[in-house]
This record gives sequence, C-alpha cells and structure tokens, in this order.
Amino acid sequence: MKKDKVFSFVVRYLSFLKHIPLFPQVFDSLLKIRVFLRKPYLLDWFDEIEAEVLRWEGTDVGLHQYGGIQFNHRGKEIGHLHSNGLLDVLYTKEMKGLLLKEGRIQPHHVFEKSGWISFYILTQEDKNYAKELLKMAYDKVGMKFPTRKPCTAQSVSP
Amino acid sequence: MTMNFYKATLLKGFVMSNLLAFLMVGLIKYSILPNNGELVFSIFVIVPMLMGMISAWFWIKVDLKSKAFIGYSILNGLVAILLSYLFLGEGVICLLIVSPLIFAFIIMGAFLGRSMFRKNNQRLNVSVFSLLFVVFVVDSLSEHNYVNLVADEMVIKATPEQIWKNVVAFDKIEKKDDYWLFQIGMPSPAQTTVEGYYKGAGRKCIFSNGYIFDEKIVTYEPNKDLTFDIIGQPLDPEIMGHIDILRGQFLLKDNGNGTTTLIGNSWYRLHVFPIWYYDIWAKSITRNVHLRVMEHIKVLSEKG
Repeated sequence: MKKDKVFSFVVRYLSFLKHIPLFPQVFDSLLKIRVFLRKPYLLDWFDEIEAEVLRWEGTDVGLHQYGGIQFNHRGKEIGHLHSNGLLDVLYTKEMKGLLLKEGRIQPHHVFEKSGWISFYILTQEDKNYAKELLKMAYDKVGMKFPTRKPCTAQSVSP
Repeated sequence: MTMNFYKATLLKGFVMSNLLAFLMVGLIKYSILPNNGELVFSIFVIVPMLMGMISAWFWIKVDLKSKAFIGYSILNGLVAILLSYLFLGEGVICLLIVSPLIFAFIIMGAFLGRSMFRKNNQRLNVSVFSLLFVVFVVDSLSEHNYVNLVADEMVIKATPEQIWKNVVAFDKIEKKDDYWLFQIGMPSPAQTTVEGYYKGAGRKCIFSNGYIFDEKIVTYEPNKDLTFDIIGQPLDPEIMGHIDILRGQFLLKDNGNGTTTLIGNSWYRLHVFPIWYYDIWAKSITRNVHLRVMEHIKVLSEKG
C-alpha cells in the first residue's frame, strides 16, 4: 500500500498541532486542494462511497474531528475517510487480524494495536473494497456480529 | 432543475459571500473599531470560513459534487483576492502569501457549511454563526501587538577589523537572488550607504527596486557592534500596514583563530494575524534579507 508521505510526516511529527482549534480541518482542506489538482477523480469516488453509506439504514455522515468525512451508524462512528483517500475503519481485533491476512489493509496509521485499520483508496478496485470494509463495520455495529457475504475473510465469526 | 436556476444559484453563492467579506473587512479597516489598522486573525480565518459557509448555503440547493464544491470555492477565493487587489490596494506578493490561508479556510467553511446545512438543524446553524460572529467581534476589539527578533550567524575567514568596514556600508550586491520570493519580484537588499562612521549617523539600506529604508546608527562600537533603528520605511503596499522593521544589528565576535562570527539581528512588528501563519513568512523573508547581506559581507571581507 503506497503511503502519502506528507500526510504521514504531519501525523507522525506534527500531531501535537491537532490540538490547535481548526488545524486538522485546515490541513484536510489543503489535502482536498491537492487531490483536486492531482487526482480529481478521487473526489467523485469519495462522493460515491458517502452516497453508498448513506443508503444503509441508520447511517449519517459528518465532519471528522481530525478532518475528513466521518461515517456513523446509530450515532457510533464506523470509520472516517481523510481527504487524501485514507480510509480508517474500526473493527474488533479478531476481525482486524483476519483482514490483515488478506493483505490489503494495514494497521491504523497511528493506533497500530487498536481495532482500527487503514486503507488507501488509489484505484477503482480500492474504492469498491473501501465500500466493503465500511459495510463490514456497519454490519458489526448493527448486528453485533459481522455478516459479510460474500466475504474473502470467510472465517470471520463471532 | 434548469440551467438558469443552476447558474443563478452559483452566482448568488459568489456574490453574497464576497459581499459579506467586504462588509466585514470594511467594518474592521474603516470603522471606529479601535484596532489601529491591524489586519486581525478574523480577516484571514473567520471571514473566509464564513464566505465558504455562505456559498455552501446556496450551492447545496444545486447538489454540487465535492469536486465542483472545491473548484468553485477556489474560484470564490480568487475573486476575493482580485477584489482585495483592486479595492484594498494590496500588493501582489502579499496576496500570494495570503492565498493558501484564504483557499484553505474557504474550502473548510464550504464543507463545514455543506455538512451543517444538510442536517437542517436551525439551532446548530444559529449556534455556529453566532460563535463565529462573537469571535470576530472579540478579535476585532482586542489589542494586537507582536514584536519578534530574527537572528542569523555566519563564520567569516577574516578578522573583525577586515569585516567592520563592509558591515557599516557596502557597494551593490551583484549576486543573483536565490530566494524564490526575491526571484518573483519581492525587492531584495542591494546596497547600503552611510553618512559617517559615528553614532547618530544616517544610513540607507537600498533595495533592488530603489526603495530605501532610512536608518540611524544608535550603537557604534568599531569591530564589535553596529546597531541602527529604522526611522523611515518605503510606502510599498507589500509592506505598509503589514510589517514594521524596527531595528537592525550586526555583532562581530572574534573566534581567536583568524575567523570571526558575524551575527545579524532584526527586530520587527507584525500587523497581520494570525501570527502562527504570518510569522513563518516574516521570519523566512527577514532571514533571507540577512543571508543575502551577510554573504555579500563575507565575500568582500574574505577578498581582503
């Protein structure tokens, strides 16, 4: 998975700046400008992902506290999408372990040992996989147990 | 949705947001508010945020995609910058410096507005606008005073005696500018002349576009300390009302091995806020003025 070096640098070395009011949102706006200039098609994909999530019952979207779109299900965050295409989704550690074995996702870019995962959307296929990742998290919150079908991480079980 | 409705709604977003910005900036710049002409944080943060939110209020009616939202927000920022150039008399380089801040906050405001207005929660909308208005008023009425010092040093292979004469005054710097802001038109230091070699003497720092900073020597300790106050700044739109250079200083320290450490200090007062943004630029520009002059002094002194 190709990393966004600027984003990684800011998150790793300048993360203290997130405590300055509005800084994360300003940084996210700069990421939006960069994506707009370099990979504008990503913005259409983000809209598509947002529209897909909003089709699921009980979901809503908002602005994430550290920038980007936050996806909620019944008021609980299931994931968020930074404006550089980095999707962070929350699972149980068990599910995270199984997904890691598939090799497409990575541990969260900051909280590596939590249930959070990170996934960069770079291609059309990534966009579809991002939707699947969010659907799995949605199902987990909605039904307490994951019910992903068809599922590449087939052994995911309660 | 007809094309006319689409165009009219887009246009309303541009016009209303820029109108609001002009009212707010005008209120600060030309009203009785006691802010001494400072360009406060609100002008560069709250105003663009509100511009983005006002435009979003109109643009969500035509269901713009994110790509269009960003594109039109950038265009909105460009319109605001162009209007600032035409009506507020701001310099091109100043506007270039301010533009990332304007674009970032307009886009942030636009997406914040889009998210807020989609929820259609009037209490939330009123709360956010009220909060921004309160911040704007408090910031406009608050006293702003920021003075900073930039210090640079350089080791020169010459004695303090050899360096001193080049510190007090020097002939034209022929070296090409290597700082990008100087390359795109910001005036760079070119020459310094002096009335005499004593405390109280007048000194002139001449810039590449002919602008002159009038200075007065306040400390004259040969081979050690030259300190001068800036008593007259050029009336350049790039500087006026944005930054005052207060004092400059050159210190020479003999290293005892045939080399000397030359220290250049400059004190300035900023009239533009937020400091966390503009001071980065002020430091960078001051540092590059120092380095250009100090490198010239180094070349002259090492020639012997």
